[in-house]
Amino acid sequence: MNTQPRQSRRQSTPIAPGFTRRTFLQGVGVTMALPWLESLAGAAPLPSAALDQAGGTANALPKRFAVMFMGCGVNPDHWWAKNSDTGIELGKTLEPLEPIKAKVNVINGLFNKKSTNQGIHPAQTGNLLTGVSFKKGSIIQSGISMDQVIANHVGQETIQPSMVLACEQPMTGYHESNFSNAYSSHISWQSPESPVPNEMYPSLAFDSLFENRGSLRNLSVLDRVKDRAAQLSRRISATDKVKLDEYLSSVRDVEKSIERMRVDKDKAFERARDKDQPVFTMKRPDNGLPEDLREHARLMCDIIALAFQTDKTRVASLILARDLSSLYYPFLDVNQQHHGASHTDTSEGYERVARFHLSQMAYLAKKLDAMPEGEGTVLDNSCVMFMSNMLSGTRHDNKKLPIVTAGGLSGTLKTGRVLNYLEAGDENRKVCSLYLGLMDRMGAKLDHFGDADSRLAGL
Amino acid sequence: MRTPSLLAVLAFSSATLTSASAADATLKRLDTRFKTAVHPFLETYCVSCHGKEKAEAELDLTAYSSVADVLKDGPRWDLVLERLESEEMPPSKAKKHPAPGVRSEAVDWFQALRKYEIQRHAGDPGIVLARRLSNAEFNYTIRDLTGVDLKPTREFPADPSNTAGFDNSGESLTMSPSLLKKYLQAAREVANHLFLKPEGFAFAAHPMLAETDRDKYAVHQIIDFYHRQNTDYAAYFRAAWSFKHRGALGKPKATLADFAAANRVSAKYLATIWATLETEKADLGPLVKLHALWRELPAPRPNETAVAQKGFEQMRDYIVKVRAKVEPRFLNITAGKIAANGQGRGNNAQGVNSGSQVMMIWKNVQYATHRMKFDPVQLQVEGEAPVPPLDVANESGAGGEFGPGRTVPLINQPGDPDLAVPEGQRARYEAAWAKFCAVFPDKFYMEERGRNYFNTKIDRGRYLSAGFHSNMGYFRDDQPLYELILDDQQRKELDALWINMDFIASTTSRMYVEFNPGRRQGRGAAAEAAVPEVAAIELPATPVSSAQALEITSEAKIMQTFDRFLAQAEGGDPRGTQAIKDYFPWINATLRATEKAKLDAEPSHLKALLEFAGRAYRRPLTKEDKDDLLSFYRVARDRDKLDHEAAMRESIVSVLMAPDLAYRIDLAQTTTGIHRLSDYDLASRLSYFLWASMPDDELLAHAKAGDLHEPKVITAQARRMLKDPRARALAVEFGGNWLDFRRFEGIGTVDVERFPAFTSELRQAMFEEPIRFTLDVIQANRSVLDFLYAKDTFVNPVLAKHYGMPAMTGRADEWVRVADADRYERGGILPMAVFLTKNAPGLRTSPVKRGNWVVKNVLGERIPPPPPNVPELPQDEAKLDLPLRDMLARHRADPNCAACHARFDSFGLVFEGFGPVGDRREKDLGGRAVDTHASFAGGAEVAGLEGLRQHIRDKRQTDFVNNLSSKLLVYALGRSLMLSDDPLIQDMRRKVTTDSYRFQTLVDSIVTSPQFLNKRGRDDFAQR
Repeated sequence: MNTQPRQSRRQSTPIAPGFTRRTFLQGVGVTMALPWLESLAGAAPLPSAALDQAGGTANALPKRFAVMFMGCGVNPDHWWAKNSDTGIELGKTLEPLEPIKAKVNVINGLFNKKSTNQGIHPAQTGNLLTGVSFKKGSIIQSGISMDQVIANHVGQETIQPSMVLACEQPMTGYHESNFSNAYSSHISWQSPESPVPNEMYPSLAFDSLFENRGSLRNLSVLDRVKDRAAQLSRRISATDKVKLDEYLSSVRDVEKSIERMRVDKDKAFERARDKDQPVFTMKRPDNGLPEDLREHARLMCDIIALAFQTDKTRVASLILARDLSSLYYPFLDVNQQHHGASHTDTSEGYERVARFHLSQMAYLAKKLDAMPEGEGTVLDNSCVMFMSNMLSGTRHDNKKLPIVTAGGLSGTLKTGRVLNYLEAGDENRKVCSLYLGLMDRMGAKLDHFGDADSRLAGL
Repeated sequence: MRTPSLLAVLAFSSATLTSASAADATLKRLDTRFKTAVHPFLETYCVSCHGKEKAEAELDLTAYSSVADVLKDGPRWDLVLERLESEEMPPSKAKKHPAPGVRSEAVDWFQALRKYEIQRHAGDPGIVLARRLSNAEFNYTIRDLTGVDLKPTREFPADPSNTAGFDNSGESLTMSPSLLKKYLQAAREVANHLFLKPEGFAFAAHPMLAETDRDKYAVHQIIDFYHRQNTDYAAYFRAAWSFKHRGALGKPKATLADFAAANRVSAKYLATIWATLETEKADLGPLVKLHALWRELPAPRPNETAVAQKGFEQMRDYIVKVRAKVEPRFLNITAGKIAANGQGRGNNAQGVNSGSQVMMIWKNVQYATHRMKFDPVQLQVEGEAPVPPLDVANESGAGGEFGPGRTVPLINQPGDPDLAVPEGQRARYEAAWAKFCAVFPDKFYMEERGRNYFNTKIDRGRYLSAGFHSNMGYFRDDQPLYELILDDQQRKELDALWINMDFIASTTSRMYVEFNPGRRQGRGAAAEAAVPEVAAIELPATPVSSAQALEITSEAKIMQTFDRFLAQAEGGDPRGTQAIKDYFPWINATLRATEKAKLDAEPSHLKALLEFAGRAYRRPLTKEDKDDLLSFYRVARDRDKLDHEAAMRESIVSVLMAPDLAYRIDLAQTTTGIHRLSDYDLASRLSYFLWASMPDDELLAHAKAGDLHEPKVITAQARRMLKDPRARALAVEFGGNWLDFRRFEGIGTVDVERFPAFTSELRQAMFEEPIRFTLDVIQANRSVLDFLYAKDTFVNPVLAKHYGMPAMTGRADEWVRVADADRYERGGILPMAVFLTKNAPGLRTSPVKRGNWVVKNVLGERIPPPPPNVPELPQDEAKLDLPLRDMLARHRADPNCAACHARFDSFGLVFEGFGPVGDRREKDLGGRAVDTHASFAGGAEVAGLEGLRQHIRDKRQTDFVNNLSSKLLVYALGRSLMLSDDPLIQDMRRKVTTDSYRFQTLVDSIVTSPQFLNKRGRDDFAQR
């Protein structure tokens, strides 16, 4: 759904070559990140000093990463892609990506060794993005997931370090393999012991962006703390006051820095809106959970798109259907629960389920691609990765993982390719190597991650 | 040697104090003497090295032109005095040396100045600066406040320490914006562990944000409760048997309840067992055999307890065996018209299949309510036709891999004597079995099971009889435990835990949503139309309520679904219909009850919040405090639209961030002069001294009563507190900084390639040893001289091995006191591995560092820092050309170096029998025999640890006591010492000396001292 007026793209010529608002701000000593908006069109020319300090365009645009997940595998008969003369050729399930296939990579044959031969379902899911061995029984232990590693590296620059969303409620308790169902329900882990709580409510996910929830809350706390310190201050000795003032001024300092960030964000956003700039806008979703899965998934994608475009966050994860999913698809004429349906994964019905979820990814990617940014689009500066925890649900086979990405991460990730690693040998087809490569490009450079200590060759 | 003392006069303490004309006159005289005699003395003998140009040891004596200047810099002048008095200065190489009379004139002058200062201000509380809690104190405080040891400051930068080496004074503890941000993060982290209970709230050891964490918490609370109950029949039989033979066991007066307690079994159930064994008549049925076994038990005989134990186990095994033969069985059921094999598609295809949550719950209920009953069909009555086995092959859902599974039927062999019933006797036998099974259930509680009810071997791990296949949820199945074993109090506790489970983790609600009987079925017009359209940003206008009418957990939706299920049940198994009629109202009732409980609980949470704040602030809240906190909560709810739990969490964060918690401020009641601390401030002072943490209820009760400052009360409290486990903090924080091993856990100098024995376990054990020892001195009120001379120490298996002691078995956290550690050349602090290792640079020992540690940390001597051009010794002992001691001797030959090295080298050389990681050795790393001889000032030639101890005993013991007293006082007061503290130090030494050097005597002196009890007025020292 492209909501941007076409001509705005042409109007928004950068004021000076190589200039971006971000670099300008850095040049004048403001280190806070701002949404990259083409909102300076028509603004006064910049002082040349600022221009001198500005770097290249591509470097300055923020990169974003999203991972979308569906549990229980796909229909392996229809999940394929081939290189051909006219770009890549896509199997039936991947067809929704046809319009943007030049910006897509289909990556075949990767696997996560630590989640093989452990047990089915939870044991194939809980470490999908962490790549570590994990524990059975009631003690939950996985690792920090790659999206959260990125968030830890780049999250401080935005209002929300990451968004962790889901269209299905998490399960608790234990699977019969004696692994916790928490592993089936969460792909994003902030610490080995605790997953990031999934946000299921579109309304709350939306609010978290626009209410600046975290910073607003901190401001309230600091405000109260300041009052208390002031009250105390009246009853203490002069020397004690000196110590307490140290506290007070620290509080004020932190408060100011939070406020500055809020004000900057809001201003940039307002300015863009006033000038009818192409910021995607959406209505605040209603409270409660949408009854229709299609609506739910689309709202979640819209929120991610909005958050990416306005640089409220640079990292998102979305569980469309968790592992052991109990979603129903009456609108696809499938009358079994997702998980049950996956046990006959080559059925036409299950193909429709997989294609439905893949089309959510296509929807988000196309949406980002319709958002102009710099010389390209937001998608060009992003990577949206879609994956499942296994290829075949019937056989619970996760020796190969279905993975497809969209977006070029500001030119650092070549697209329009089909990459095959199945024949490369187990050492050279680690999904954690892919993560290392992606994390590199997102600015989180690690020596090793999970079971990998090298980048995926040819990425 | 003169008494070393640590005297620091705060920069502003002299000039502005209250005036008295006599004192003024004395000061004037002292000033005159300074200008006429002392100043010229300095000019003549000192400033050529300690002047503007050269300023050796960073001392410029030209900067002092009056008595006031000198008093401002007390500690340095104390050092000057020390050097002059000991005739170390001017050094022998100096060109000019003062005649004895000239020297003594200067010395006398300073002595007079000290006396003047001391007399005028003895007992002055001085300035105890307000300060934030140190990292360690913050951690301990959070532990005691929340009940969980979260260590929120673990990633904070290390606190700087004051000149005495302690990190708990306002002089060194500062705040900065970046640190404040960390506090904010830490406060949020702590608040993430919060969870609300039906009454009040608590904190869990892990975050409580994700459902899975809440779930885990609630489940383990219940399982832990189960595990605390004794359900082993053999234990009950042992108790009953002991009671029977109480006379023979030498306890003729003990009651049944006494034996219950002694055997840690339920008194209630033991009474039931006793009655069943002793008073119940049994002429038929399973009890007959049990009685026979009971009677066969031997009487207690010495050394034959094993025989009786075997008998108890036989009785237990018999019960388990016969009980298993009559367990009830329930086949899967369905509702409505469903295919015979039960494999309907989806939960709502045609009818309701046996795998539906409704039917699974039905089955759970059947088992849970039949644990104290039996299956009469299993009795083998003579003359009755054998009952055909259950037709499990045609059971609904029997074949599905992921279905409810096949019931495992009970197959008893024909002619089983346990089950045999004579012809026509069924009724009598059934009555006997019923009685037996009501006392001996098939299971006391269901703790864990597999996916299918009977198929538990391959897939255990579903706690609390919960969830079908991948469905979650927990089902309570503990009727026998509840009815037979638990007393009223325990029943209440267990009921509360199950209620809490819904309250904390919304388990029933999520179980129902997961079952999902009404969700996303249709594609109604409303759903179709709800495609998001482009519109302006709308900020949230209404709060999000968890009880949205739209939610499938709403009463209306549940009832709709109920009706739909009932309609589908038509024409099927009436039990299925009944199951539906039981299930939905049960779900609805539970959800509504939880909802209501949550609403009802809100006032109790706010009450608990105020209590929490009171404890956090360590004083009663004022009305203003309360209003302030409650309005913060209110604003979060009303203005910021947070739900109750989120608003509570924010309120907790704000309490944790409040300066009232994070700072220690003794509120000044008067404007000037010395006044008593309030009893609440005193309670904090005492608890941060002895526990490095907040006061407990008892202490606050004394603060409230206003009697804490009374000497009897405060010393009694101090004694009580020192016995408490929290006193460990005194050993760690005081001991660790006094003896400078607090940071040992991070030591990186040891080459683990060369010393493979130096594992992290050993390092941890080395760190722990002085803590255990210090804590023992503190808690057993031992002599402080034991630090020096004790023959005992504490070891765990890894340290015992390192010390060459007999091998210990056990875990690393099992520590024992070794009374004869002297046999291994250990005992007391001096030969502890932690100090020997810390004061060795890696591949060799360092007599210099070890000696310096002894004279500086243990004996309190002040050694100037080494000059910048000091030559480095080679790093590897194995590569030395000469023994280390010879190289040191050569170094001392240089008079520039001798002045200092003469003071400590010998103290380190005696430790040469210990290698770089504190291991005992005969040869150094270069293969040379070690030599532990050393000579001390005064000509005493000694060898080894014993020699050092003898030297200390003869010459330095008072130094040690003075040093310990001073350091403890600095730590207790949270400030550096002043000249005017000198009398207190002397007093502490006198008292402890006459009281067998007991540690707690030092504490008594401190907590009853005016320094500890008082505070300066708020305008004192204002004009700094």
